Amino acid sequence: MDKPSIDYGDVQGTILRGYRVNLARHFILQITDAAEAKALVGSMVNGSPGVPQITTAARWTSKPDYFLNIGFTSAGLGELGVTPAQLKSFDPGFQRGATDPKTASTVFDVGESAPENWIGGLSDGNAVHVVLSLWVTEAEATLEQVTSVLRNLFKSAMKELSAHDAHALSDNRVHFNYRDNIAQPTIAGAPPRKHSIPDDQEVVATGEFLLGYQNEIGGQYSVQPAELSKNSSYSAFRILEQDVQGFEAFLTTYGKQAGIDPEMLAAKVCGRWRNGNPLELMPDKAGAPLPLSELNNFQYVSTDATKDDTLGLKCPIGSHIRRNNPRNEAVTGGGTSTNHRIVRRAMPYGPADDAKVPDDTPRGLIGHFINGSITNQFEFLMSQWVNTDTFLMSAKGTNCQGNAVRNISGEDVFLGVNAPSSSSFTLSACVNGSVKNTNIAGFRRLITTRGGAYCFLPSISGLKYLAIPAPVGS
Amino acid sequence: MANPLTLLMPVVPNTAVTTLVTLIAKNQASIDAALTSIGTVHFARFLILDTSVANLQPTSTANNNLVLAVITEYDGDFDAYISDFVKQLGDVFNALLFYVVGAEPLIRVQDHLSEFQAFIKANDYSQMPGAPSLYGAYPYTVQTILADCGSDAATGAAS
Repeated sequence: MDKPSIDYGDVQGTILRGYRVNLARHFILQITDAAEAKALVGSMVNGSPGVPQITTAARWTSKPDYFLNIGFTSAGLGELGVTPAQLKSFDPGFQRGATDPKTASTVFDVGESAPENWIGGLSDGNAVHVVLSLWVTEAEATLEQVTSVLRNLFKSAMKELSAHDAHALSDNRVHFNYRDNIAQPTIAGAPPRKHSIPDDQEVVATGEFLLGYQNEIGGQYSVQPAELSKNSSYSAFRILEQDVQGFEAFLTTYGKQAGIDPEMLAAKVCGRWRNGNPLELMPDKAGAPLPLSELNNFQYVSTDATKDDTLGLKCPIGSHIRRNNPRNEAVTGGGTSTNHRIVRRAMPYGPADDAKVPDDTPRGLIGHFINGSITNQFEFLMSQWVNTDTFLMSAKGTNCQGNAVRNISGEDVFLGVNAPSSSSFTLSACVNGSVKNTNIAGFRRLITTRGGAYCFLPSISGLKYLAIPAPVGS
Repeated sequence: MANPLTLLMPVVPNTAVTTLVTLIAKNQASIDAALTSIGTVHFARFLILDTSVANLQPTSTANNNLVLAVITEYDGDFDAYISDFVKQLGDVFNALLFYVVGAEPLIRVQDHLSEFQAFIKANDYSQMPGAPSLYGAYPYTVQTILADCGSDAATGAAS
């Protein structure tokens, strides 16, 4: 695998670096004055005094108090002077946008998750131009102070449609009480993660996350004009509301139905115990949290019969982490674990749920899912692996009679549509030498999409290009 | 049920039918291996048609009025898997597209994925409005058939 030399100073930081922060605020903005917006973008990358600067992927010597990154929708780029002909060179999904009917049906944003129900002005995709994301290391005071400066800066250029806050829960947990942020793709040429969580998977080509570098299919993603191409990326910005009480009720009801402990069912639908330990390494009980060096170091298929889990006997084939990253499992398309990966930069929003005092306060996950191609990565995941059960290759196991193809049903319990009339999850066990499947069925959706936007994340030089004033008379 | 692909592509004038036949034969083994690996294609074949002949069958000396056809029946969403097809067969596509009218801007397909996808859609007879439907004798996918016949992913061969 080529390890290209990347100018980290030209790449927006969140693409290549995870920010370990407590707080975030995502501003959804509409450009009202293109010239002022160009000037504002320019001031965020040229070191203008008093203007918060866009964070790059360059190494910092001391951790900043805050990080700032910016993405533009297709409509937003149009406002800044990217021509319709040039926009045709962008990723097809990005061109459509998150609220387009074809997009919504592709990623299954249907029913309650349909764009017409989205909050914060996100339901009108053409009106959303900019997603400006602010992450703050620690202090509420910093969040409010930087917000105040930004709001003062963008009032002459952009209208704030909404702002959405996020905050870390303890121990890296998310609202279904799982420890999160364990697995990310290892990207060729990217800076190493601060806390190394080695995994047994191949390094992913840089071009899967940055335009202008070789990707996994042997080509490069690029756009016109060329100034916007190299070192840029795309993201799917998502607001995902989680039904925490519904999930706990699901575990109680369906654990009983399946004859297993609710915590075991929680592990089976996810692929990890709630403390983060993977079922592949800890199939029978959660145990003490594994060290970082072991947490992600596993595969699903092995020639060693004691380790092979082709049939999903330890970690169900339909579990969340296995659907979203099949690792070395054989899936249609013939890909390896380097295909169709995404970088996840999302945090919880809303207060922690208190089972003793149930409430209707919205809570969930919000952030960016980053990739070099929205169509071939984010949309592929949602349409082919999350919401179907036909992506497995026929594969026999080494330790029980059965075939992987039969050991999955329905959709991802977390992310799938899961209409009660058709929802299903398969638990597989080896009984007398043959696979016996138990399907639980009839459960309803647990995560609803409350907002989204497809964003282009320009390079720093790309932002400087966008900031160039339009010619007089244009 | 499976979906049809009926890709009909006009061939650049003065291309000998033997050139295309040789090219396809040279790559057939890798095409077959790729289709097995991708795992969604039930059947696939190439045809070379001579539009100047009543029954469209070219003679061995034909070198004009040719159409290169790719006919398959496949599971699922072709568009979603375009990057996987190109990963495995991109260079074969490039070699064939060299002889296809209007395809020069697509080469290399690895760098022109969405344009290649649009080209296929434009030249897929089965996606034409009002195109005849495909009859299928069974609703099963390639992989469920292989599983039920006792095959596995490694070889696709029956055990």
